[in-house]
Amino acid sequence: MQLETNLTGAEVHRGQIWKRFKKQRVLHLFVGLGMIFLVIFSYTPMFGILMAFKDYSISDGIKGIFTSDWVGFRYFDEFVHDYQFGKIVRNTLVLCFLKVIFAFPAPIVLAILLNEVKSMPFKRFVQTISYLPHFISWVVVVGVSYAFLSADMGLVNKALLQAGFIDQPLNILTSPNYFWGLAVGSAVWKEMGWWTIIFLAAITGINPSLYEAAEIDGAGRLARIRHITLPGMKGTIVVVLVLTIGSILGGGLVGSNFEQAYLLGNSINNPTSEIVQTYAFKVGLSDGRFSYASAIDLIQSVISVILIFSSNFIAKRVSGSSLF
Amino acid sequence: MLKSQKQKDLVMDSIVYLLLSIIALTMLYPFYYVLIASFNKGSDTLLGGMYLWPRSVTFENYRIFLEDPKWMKAFLVTVARTVSGTALGLLLTSLVAYALSHRDLLFSKFYFTLIIFAMYFSGGLIPYYVVLRSLGLLNSFGVYIVPSMLNTFFLLIAISFFREIPGELKESAHMDGAGEFVIYFRIILPVSMPLLATMALFMGVGQWNSWLDSAYFVQSENLRTLTFRMMEIINQSNAPMDSVAVANRPGGGVTSFSLQVTSMVVSILPIICVYPFLQKYFVHGIMLGSVKG
Repeated sequence: MQLETNLTGAEVHRGQIWKRFKKQRVLHLFVGLGMIFLVIFSYTPMFGILMAFKDYSISDGIKGIFTSDWVGFRYFDEFVHDYQFGKIVRNTLVLCFLKVIFAFPAPIVLAILLNEVKSMPFKRFVQTISYLPHFISWVVVVGVSYAFLSADMGLVNKALLQAGFIDQPLNILTSPNYFWGLAVGSAVWKEMGWWTIIFLAAITGINPSLYEAAEIDGAGRLARIRHITLPGMKGTIVVVLVLTIGSILGGGLVGSNFEQAYLLGNSINNPTSEIVQTYAFKVGLSDGRFSYASAIDLIQSVISVILIFSSNFIAKRVSGSSLF
Repeated sequence: MLKSQKQKDLVMDSIVYLLLSIIALTMLYPFYYVLIASFNKGSDTLLGGMYLWPRSVTFENYRIFLEDPKWMKAFLVTVARTVSGTALGLLLTSLVAYALSHRDLLFSKFYFTLIIFAMYFSGGLIPYYVVLRSLGLLNSFGVYIVPSMLNTFFLLIAISFFREIPGELKESAHMDGAGEFVIYFRIILPVSMPLLATMALFMGVGQWNSWLDSAYFVQSENLRTLTFRMMEIINQSNAPMDSVAVANRPGGGVTSFSLQVTSMVVSILPIICVYPFLQKYFVHGIMLGSVKG
């Protein structure tokens, strides 16, 4: 008896769903159009990950992803034993580490400084200028760094030579010693102002009466920054840090590691500028070793996913705020 | 007591203003220097010592630039991809977002899972290349446009924007017998100008600046973008002797460095022109879609 009513209930329900679907069919058509793009340009490449475990050759086309022979972990093994492996992994990690240390706090500092400004026109002026580099391509940023730092025509070298501070131009762009500083510096220059928007928004959300109360209690401006502004930004800082760490291998929020390393890298600074992504690009698209490059790519993606989930987990534990 | 507090404030204010002025100058001066270098005789710029204004004013750099068919072609390709890529991206992204903004849409949980997953995971460059290749998109203008037509980041922002639009607007149109397509074009899009402007400007800037796809997926010289050409000339002048070689060209004093800064000005200028409009919208746009503390 009960089973029967349940069945009819489900039937009625199914009929309703079909009715609703028919009513919404145009909307589903719209969504379907979008899903086609998603499946082609996001999901099909995900199946391409199989390539890393197969002996894929580009002449096999897309079907080859499924039909070519399995080789197991051969390409992963090959990468680990690659003579450049140590150098590449070190460079990738050092670059990420330096960016978290230097490029991540920069917008926080800028937001706090801007918050201390009472003159609105000045504040707006500085903000407007600080966003600007975000909208300029990395190619232009690299062009600017050539104009300023290159040994033969760079403004900085010319000025230092003329002032007599140095006898020989500094090979900032073509020396392994300077690359890390150059990469972090240009990332800060390009993205600092942009991320300040979010931190300023967090400061705006702080209750003004907290500042008034602190002032009555005799707290100076530095004390107010330390005890009100910074704690008020905590949630936002944590979330942005999680995002940064999660996407740090790609360069993430503090600028693209790949574009920097690819554009600023050259044969001379290669010992410090070659990172996993540029190496995968070179062996993949330039040398045509698709399976090997996919394996390298995959290692990087897996580490990224682990990083974003673990940093999110830690953030949840430590501060209670998290991304998801 | 009160006086020392005031003095402390004055010191603090001075430090804040000084630091911010230095930061602003560091951000602004590189653009200014590139501008004056583009109006200065190339061979003269190489001597150094030019800081505040062009020393030997010339339009020769721009003349060489404009007369070179390579640069003109790259400029036109970039304009074409920016206009069509932005228009199509705007159209598809907002259309899909409109459908997904219906709270009673069946299977919406499934659709959203697909979208969110695609934002976090990707197959990487190599499989992506294989997909483009099998679609016949390699070495075609379509590779600039088609893959970027659905922008997942803006999709989510647009959905939350459309959900803020009062439901009565749509309902009354429904009563009058308007279909979804008519509602989307006649009602939703016109009231969504702030959103559309934000999306258009970001997609436009993205298209304008893009060089990776030109470098990876295109071999044809006719399809090169401005930013790609710029990268080429920057890489060339990395070799120090090159600037001398170009300087010997008839036309006088134009170096590869001066061409480089000229191309940079040409590439930055359109962005500076839309910047005032951009700025009005993007702060709000970023807040809309991003982290809440």
